Order: sequence, then structure tokens, then C-alpha cells
Amino acid sequence: MELVNILRGVELFHGLNIDQLQRLVSISQSEVHNTDDIIFNQGSAGDKMYVVTKGQVEIRFDDNKGGSQTGLYLGEGQIFGEMALLDQGARSASVIAIEDGTTVYAISSQDFMTLCKTDTAIGYVMMRNMALDLSFKLRRKNLDPSAGL
Amino acid sequence: MIYKVSYVVVGGDFPGGIKNESEKPKVGDVVQIGRIKFKVTEIHEIIPPRDDFQFLHATVKPLDDAKKS
Repeated sequence: MELVNILRGVELFHGLNIDQLQRLVSISQSEVHNTDDIIFNQGSAGDKMYVVTKGQVEIRFDDNKGGSQTGLYLGEGQIFGEMALLDQGARSASVIAIEDGTTVYAISSQDFMTLCKTDTAIGYVMMRNMALDLSFKLRRKNLDPSAGL
Repeated sequence: MIYKVSYVVVGGDFPGGIKNESEKPKVGDVVQIGRIKFKVTEIHEIIPPRDDFQFLHATVKPLDDAKKS
């Protein structure tokens, strides 16, 4: 029940009822990371999306010169890795935990798609919320052209 | 109410961040983005609120710069 309450405060899950949230919880896996833990690398296969429920993560992009640069930091309530869930493509950035105890909940693409097929209302709400989150990030980028996202 | 805040750093090469806040940020507040602390210098609504969520855009500058000015 505790996780359900946490997820109620995440925009991605806004509009879902308690039963639907519990179904999502059943396919979510908690991961706790320490500072500098790599959650995934740019270019790797993407099969999960993540929700930050504690701490912060750093989004890093390769600079094509052998290095990388930070594009954005994401804190509590934010999602990442959703692009791979939507388009099955490789990871477009690396994600690194920057605080000890950073907690994320991972939802596998396969489990999510199966859930969406069995409960289309969940699929509609979450796809809409993902689109709204991407829209928010685009508006942010328009306000700050130097931003990475 | 949950405040989804986009923090953008004015000047310098610092990337900004996005996070949910339980209280509405105010000008003068100190916020940690990544490993650095910043002072909020401006805040406005980025899109209209939706149910329990408000969507805000905040500009910030590094705390050290804020102390100098």
C-alpha cells in the first residue's frame, strides 16, 4: 500500500484508481542505487522505464569526442527510459544515480504492454501522461535552448 | 498539491533539472540540483494546473553567485 501512495504522487500515474495502481505495483521492481551507480548506458537495449521516488539521477549524453556531458538532473516523481518503452530503440542517454539511496521503480516494457492490452484504460491514461511529460520536457527545452532535454 | 518544477540555470554551463516539490518554490529559496545548490531567482507557471499538479518554471543561479550579488 505504501508504494501505491508513492505512485499516486507521480504524474505518470495520475488518473489511475487504487486497483489499477496495485496492478502496476505488481509489475514494478524497486532498485536502490548509490552515488555514481550506472542505471543504464547510452546505446544499450532498452527494456524498462523508471520512476524516481527518492534521490536524483543524472542524464548524460556522449559528446562524440570520447567524453560525455550532463544534460539534465531528474528528481522525485520524474520518469526516464520511457522512450525505449515506446519505440523499442536503444537508450538515448546514460543515467547515473547521484545520491546514496536513490530509489527507482522499474517497469518492464513487456509487462507494461501486456498490462495495457488487458486493461486498455491503464494504457490510455499512462500513454497520455507520458505524452504530457514529453510535452513538458519540450516546453522546458524551448525555455532553455542549452538544456539537454 | 504537487508542484512539478523545471529548474533552469541562468548563465554558466550548469544543466538544470526537473523534480516534484511538495511546497511551491519561492524566489530566494535554495534548491539542490545535482550536486550543486542554487538560489531561485524567478518562477512562473509553465502550463495550467491539472487536478493536483501545478507545473512551474523556475530560473536559478548558483548559490555562490547569489551571495556575491
